Amino acid sequence: MAQWQEVQSLANTYLEQVHQLYAGSALPMAVRQSLAAWIESQNWRQAAEPLCSQARMLFHSLLVVLGERLGSLGSDREDFMLKHNLRKAHRDLQAEFEEKPETFANLVANLLQEERRILRLGQAGEQEGSAPAPSPAPESGREQQIQQRLGDFHRALQEAERAFRHLEDLQDAFDFCFKVHYRPDGERNSDPEYIQELKSLQDKLQNLHRQRQEVLALMQQLLRRSETLQELLQQELGGWRARQQRQCLGGPGDTNLRPLETWFTELGQGLFQLRQLLRALGELRQKVTYARDPLVTETPLLEQRLQEQLTHLLRSAFVVEQQPSTPNAAKRPLVLRTAGKFSTRARLLVRLHDRNHRMEARIHIDRDPPNIRGFRRFNILTSSSKTLLAGDSPQEGLICDFQYLTLKEQKDSRAGKGKGGGGEGPLVVTEELHLITFTLAYAYCGLELELEATTLPFVIISNNNQFSSAWASILWFNMLSSDPKAQQFFSSPPPAPWPRLAEVLSWQFQSVAERGLSRDNLLMLAKKLLGSKPSLDSTVAWPKFSKDSGSGFSFWAWLDGILGLLQEHLKQLWKKGLILGFVSHKQKEKLLKCKRSGTFLLRFSETVLGGVTFTWVEHPETGPPIFHAVEPYTASELVSLALPDIIRDYHMSMEEKNPENPLKFLYPNIARDEAFGPFYSQRMEGNLSDSQKYLNRRLIRVSSRPPNRRQTEEELVVATQDLQMLQLQPRGQGTQQPGGLPLPQPLGTLQVTPGNLGTPQGVTMSPGILQVTPGNVGTPQMMPTSPGTLQVTPGNVGTPQGVTRTPGTLQVTPGNVGTPQGVTMTPGTLQPRGLGMLQPQPQSLEPPQVASGVPNFQGTLQVAPGAVGTVQVLPGGLRGDSGTLLGTVAVSSGTLPAEQGTLPAELRDLELLPGGRDMQELLQSLQELEPGLEAAGLMPDVVPTLEESFQLSPGSAALLDQHDPFLPQPEDSVLPIVPSLFTDFPPLHIDPSDFQ
Amino acid sequence: MGQTSGRQERNKKPEVAPSEIMEAEIEVQNTKEETKDVKAKNQKLTSVFGLADLKNEAIGLYNLGQSCCLNSLLQVFLMNIHFTRILRRITVPPSPAQRRNNVPYQMLLLLEKMQCGKCKAVGPTDLACCLSEHRVELFVQHDAAQLFLTLWNLLKKQMKKPVEELSDLYTICIQEHLACQKCSFEVKNNSTMLTLPLPVLDANSHRLKTLEDCLQYFFHPEELTGQNMCFCQQCGRKTTFLQSMKLVHLPQTLALHLKRFCFERSSRTQKLSLHLPFPQELDLREILTESQCQADDSEKGTWQFELFAVVAHSGLSSCGHYCAYIRSLTDCKWYCFNDSEVCQVSWDDVKCTYGHSNLYWRETAYLLFYMKKHPQQPWPGVSECL
Repeated sequence: MAQWQEVQSLANTYLEQVHQLYAGSALPMAVRQSLAAWIESQNWRQAAEPLCSQARMLFHSLLVVLGERLGSLGSDREDFMLKHNLRKAHRDLQAEFEEKPETFANLVANLLQEERRILRLGQAGEQEGSAPAPSPAPESGREQQIQQRLGDFHRALQEAERAFRHLEDLQDAFDFCFKVHYRPDGERNSDPEYIQELKSLQDKLQNLHRQRQEVLALMQQLLRRSETLQELLQQELGGWRARQQRQCLGGPGDTNLRPLETWFTELGQGLFQLRQLLRALGELRQKVTYARDPLVTETPLLEQRLQEQLTHLLRSAFVVEQQPSTPNAAKRPLVLRTAGKFSTRARLLVRLHDRNHRMEARIHIDRDPPNIRGFRRFNILTSSSKTLLAGDSPQEGLICDFQYLTLKEQKDSRAGKGKGGGGEGPLVVTEELHLITFTLAYAYCGLELELEATTLPFVIISNNNQFSSAWASILWFNMLSSDPKAQQFFSSPPPAPWPRLAEVLSWQFQSVAERGLSRDNLLMLAKKLLGSKPSLDSTVAWPKFSKDSGSGFSFWAWLDGILGLLQEHLKQLWKKGLILGFVSHKQKEKLLKCKRSGTFLLRFSETVLGGVTFTWVEHPETGPPIFHAVEPYTASELVSLALPDIIRDYHMSMEEKNPENPLKFLYPNIARDEAFGPFYSQRMEGNLSDSQKYLNRRLIRVSSRPPNRRQTEEELVVATQDLQMLQLQPRGQGTQQPGGLPLPQPLGTLQVTPGNLGTPQGVTMSPGILQVTPGNVGTPQMMPTSPGTLQVTPGNVGTPQGVTRTPGTLQVTPGNVGTPQGVTMTPGTLQPRGLGMLQPQPQSLEPPQVASGVPNFQGTLQVAPGAVGTVQVLPGGLRGDSGTLLGTVAVSSGTLPAEQGTLPAELRDLELLPGGRDMQELLQSLQELEPGLEAAGLMPDVVPTLEESFQLSPGSAALLDQHDPFLPQPEDSVLPIVPSLFTDFPPLHIDPSDFQ
Repeated sequence: MGQTSGRQERNKKPEVAPSEIMEAEIEVQNTKEETKDVKAKNQKLTSVFGLADLKNEAIGLYNLGQSCCLNSLLQVFLMNIHFTRILRRITVPPSPAQRRNNVPYQMLLLLEKMQCGKCKAVGPTDLACCLSEHRVELFVQHDAAQLFLTLWNLLKKQMKKPVEELSDLYTICIQEHLACQKCSFEVKNNSTMLTLPLPVLDANSHRLKTLEDCLQYFFHPEELTGQNMCFCQQCGRKTTFLQSMKLVHLPQTLALHLKRFCFERSSRTQKLSLHLPFPQELDLREILTESQCQADDSEKGTWQFELFAVVAHSGLSSCGHYCAYIRSLTDCKWYCFNDSEVCQVSWDDVKCTYGHSNLYWRETAYLLFYMKKHPQQPWPGVSECL
C-alpha cells in the first residue's frame, strides 16, 4: 500500500504534522511526492548503516530518477512550478549530500519512519473516533486483528525478501573481492597494499556476517509472527468446529468457512514463501561460509521450526465441511441408514496446490475400530477415493465431495453381538458410534504430507423407528464428549449438566419450529426429569433421558413425539407462542385459576405420545373453579383437521344448556379468534354456482360433560372427534365437498352395513370408524363400541334394543312409534350429531344403496329413522335442486344434541327436550312436528310452502352464508334441541344415480 | 519497514548524559536532609529517577555467536528499572584492568552504550569478554537458568556498594521443614533462592495444567520414604520424614524457572514442549495455603505480581535459540528481544510461548519474571539512603 497516499488521506490535524515534518527537512516534499513509489520501495535503513556502499548508489539513483521525472514533465503551466521546484531540489540535494550519502539515507529512513508513526496515530485516532458510533461486534474485532496481523506478516515478509536480496548483493561483492584479492599463501605480509586489501576484505566479511544475522533475525521474527497468527487462526477454527457441532444439533451459528479459508491460504502462502527464502539462504551458505557462520547453526533450526509449523497448519486445515448426512433428514445429520444414501465433504482450507499433481482423497469407515464386543463393521459400497477437486474458479477451493455413499454391514461383523455373557454387554445399535476418516496425500512445492480429517461420530441404523433414539445419542455425544473421536463414549456415558441439556433441547424446538423453549417450559421439563427444581449443577443421567422409564416411553421419546407433532401440524402455532406447551397438571390449574371463565391454554399431553390438548377453566356460581381438558389430539387426528379449526368449532354440550364453545380466551387473555384467527382454514364463501347444490358443512368437535363428574379429566371428556374421519362415499358419485373444509383423506373407514333380515349384526369398532348397522327385525343388537365411535342402530318394530355403550359413543337409535325403546344410556353419552356426517342407516327394508348412498352433505344432518316406514333423512343431494335440506332431525337421546347450528331455525318451535326425559315424551314431541316434516321431507317441489313453515330454504348455501350456523353466534345458542325420531314417514328413496 | 517503535521515539526524547544522572542523584541526596516529608521525597525521587529510567529503551544486542542466551538475560536485567537504578550507583573500580573485569561495571557501560547510542543494536563484546574471564564461555550454548544464576552471583560478588539492594531485588526466602513422622522432631532451615525451580510434571509424570498448579505442586509437602528416609536424631534411626517448604519472603522481581525437560533412560535430556499457560497477573496468596507460608500479612500483602519478562527457548535441549519477551516498565508495552531485532509485540504473541505438545520447535517459556505490583516500600533500593 502506498504510504504517501495514505498519508495524504489523513485528517487535517495529522496532515499538519506531516507538513511540519517536511518544513525543515532537506528532502523537499515535492520530491517526496514526485517519486513516492520509488522512495518507498528502497531500503533506506539498510543503506544508512555505516560501511554500506548502498547509500551512495541509492543517492545517485535518486538523482537519476529525479532527472527522468523532470524530463517527463510537460511544458504545461501547472507543471511549471513543479519543474522549478524539482530542479532546485536536484541541485540542492546534490550539493548537500554528494559527500555524505549515508546521512541522506538516514534522513530519508527517518522521514519514512516518522510518516508511518503519524499514519498510525491518525488511523488509531480515526478508529477511536468511529468506534463509539457503530460498536463493532467482538468477532469482527477478532477478524480485524487477524487481518491486520496477516498484513503485518506479509509486509515483514517483503522486508525479509529485500534484506535477503541485499545480502545476496553483499555476498556477491565479497565473493568477487575475495577471489580477486585473496592470496592464500606467499607474500602475505610484504605488500602493504595487500594488507590494505585484506583489511577491506575483513570489513566486507564483517558486514556480510552482520547482514546474515539480520536476515536470520528477520526470519525468526517472521516465524514468530506467523506462530501467533496461526494460534489465532487455530482458535478461530476451534470456534468454527464448535459452531459446526452446535449446528448439527440444531443450534444457532454461522458455519461459513470462507474467511477461514482466506486466512489459512494467505498464511500458507506466506509460509511457503518463507520456506523458499530459507532454502535460498542455505544456498548462500553453500557458496560462502566461515567460522561461526550464523547460517550454519541457525538455518537448520529455522527450517525445522518452519516445517513443523507448515505441517501443523496444513493438518489442521483439512476439515470436514459437511458432516455425513442423508439428503432428506437435513436437520438431523449424523444418523445414517444402511442402504440409504448419504454424503459428506471435506475441504482443505489452504488453497494451494500444484496443478500438475493430482491429489487423491480417500475415505475409510472405522479405520481404528474401538474394542467393543459386537461392534458392527461396515463397508462403504461406493467408490472410496476421489481426486481433490480444485474447482474452476478460485473461490471454490479444494474440496473432496463424496456423495451417494451407501453402507453395507459386513457379514461376520455381528459375530459377537448378542452373545454377551457376563460383564458389559455390547452397545445397542443406536449407541454404536462410527467414524469416517478422510485422508489426503498432499504435495506442494516439494512438501509431501498425509493429511487426515475425521467426521463427528455418527450412528448407523437399519430401521426408521430407530431414528429417534439414534438422534438422542447424537445429541448426548455432541453435548458432552470432549474428544470428538471417542467411539467408546456410550460404554459409560456421562450425565449431562442440566443447563447444557436445557440449551440443547431448546435448540431442537428452535430448529423444528423456529421457537425455542421458554424458561417456564424448561422448568417443567427439569421437574419432570429431575423430580425437583433444577439447580445449576443438576445433572441428568443418560438412561434417565433415553431409556424407558416405566411409563411406556422414555423422556426423549415423549419429547421427540412432541417435536414430530410440532413439525407436522403445529409449527405456526408454536412459532407464534400460542402453545404454552410444557405445563404440568398442577401448574396449569394454578395458571388458569384466577382467569375468567373460558380461558384456555394449549399444552402437551404427558401421558399420550405426541399429543396436544387444551384445558379451560370455568367458574361456577358456587364452588371452586372447574378445569376441563379434552382428550389429547395426536397427529392422526390433526392430519385431517387442523388444531385452530378444532378450537374454533369446539363445542361442549351441557345439560340444560345449549352446546357452546367453551374456549373463549387464550391464556393469559387473548380472545380466541384474535389469537387463532390467522390460522383458521378458509371458509366456504360465495361461489354459488359450485356450492349451491350442497349445504355447507364443517367438522367440529364436541364434548359432552358427564353430569356426575364435573371435574373432568382430560381422558374422560370425550369428544366425537373421530367423526371427522368419516367420509361417506355415495356410490360412484364422486361427491366433492364444495370448498368448505378441506377434508383430508379419511383415516377411519366408513363401514356401512345394511343388515339383512335375520342377520344379527355385531360389529366392534376401532375409534374413528363409523358403523352403521341397520338392525333387523327381531334381532337384538348388541354393539360394544369404543369411544368416539358413532354407532347408529336403527331399531325395529317391537324390537327391544339393548345397546351398551361406552361413554361418548354416539348412538342413534331410532325407535318406532309406540315402541318403547329400552335404551340404556350411560351418562354423558353423546348425541348423534356428527357434524352433518352422521349417517344413520335406514331400515333393512331399504335397498342397501340408500344406506351407503347417502351423500355427505355439508351441514346436513341425516337421520335415519328407525321404523318400518323408513325415515329418510336426506335431503340434499337430490339432483341438487331446491329442497336441499330435508327433514333434518337430530336424534336425541338423553342428552343434548350436540350440534345446534345444523338445524333449521324453524325447529325452534319444537319442544325442547330436556336431557334424560322419557322416551315417550320425546316421541310425543316428535309427533307434533310431523306434518311439517312430512311436507318437507317428501315433497321437494313444495319447498315454498315449506319455507314458510320451516324456513328450510332450498338454497341453503345462501342461508348459511348470511347466517352461518357454524359460527358461534348468540342467536344460535338458543336453538332448541331437535327431537330425533321420525315416525310414520313414508320411505324416501334415494337413488345413487340421482346424485351428480 | 518494521523498525521498532522504541527506536522511533528515541529520536525525539531528550537525552540525559550519565553525568547528569549522577548529579541528579547527588542533588536528591542533598535534598533529602532538607525535606522531612517522606512522601514528597519519594515523589521527587520518582520524578528524577523516572526521567532517567525513560532511557531504558528497547535496544537490540548483536549476537556474537551463540550469545542469544546471554543477550536475552542481559535484556531482562537492563530493562528492569529497579535493577538499573542499582547498577547506576555502583562504585567504579579504580584501575582499568579491574574495570575491564568488573561485570557490574561492564554492564553499566553496555547500558549506557545502548541508551545513548543511536543504533538499533549494539554488540555486548566487552561484557562478553569480561564474562569469559570469569569462566562464562563465549560461543557456547548456555542454559538460561544456569547463566542467570552465574551472572547474578558475579554481580553480587563484584558489586560493592548497593549489594544489599540487589539481594532485596531478587532473592526469595524459603524455610525448609523436615519433620520426623514418628516423633515430633523437626528441622527448620532458612535458605534463599534466586529462582523457584518449578516442575511441569508431577511425580507420576502427569502434566500440570497451569503455572498455578506448578507452584502448588512445588510447595506441596513430600513424604520421604523408603530410600529417601532420613536419620532422626531423636528416634535414633532412619524414619519417614515429611519435607515441606514455606515461603517467607518474595522479592520485587520474582524469577520462576519452568523445568521443561526430563531425563530419559538414555540419560539424554528431553525438552518438554507441553502447553503450560501462565497468567499476566499472579497472586500467590490465592495459590498457596496458610500452611505453605511463613510470612506476616504485610509481607503477604505484597505478593501480587505482574508478568514482567519471559525468556523463551525454541529448538531442542541440545541446540536451540533464546529470545526474551519483556514488558517495558516505562511504557507498559511488550517487546520481543531477538538479539539485534527488537520489535513491539502483543500479549497474543507472548501467549504463543505457552507451548504446544505437538510442536517441538516452537518457542516455549523457560524463565518467567514477575514484578511486584505494590512493593512494600515504593522504592526499596532508595529506602536505604533515606
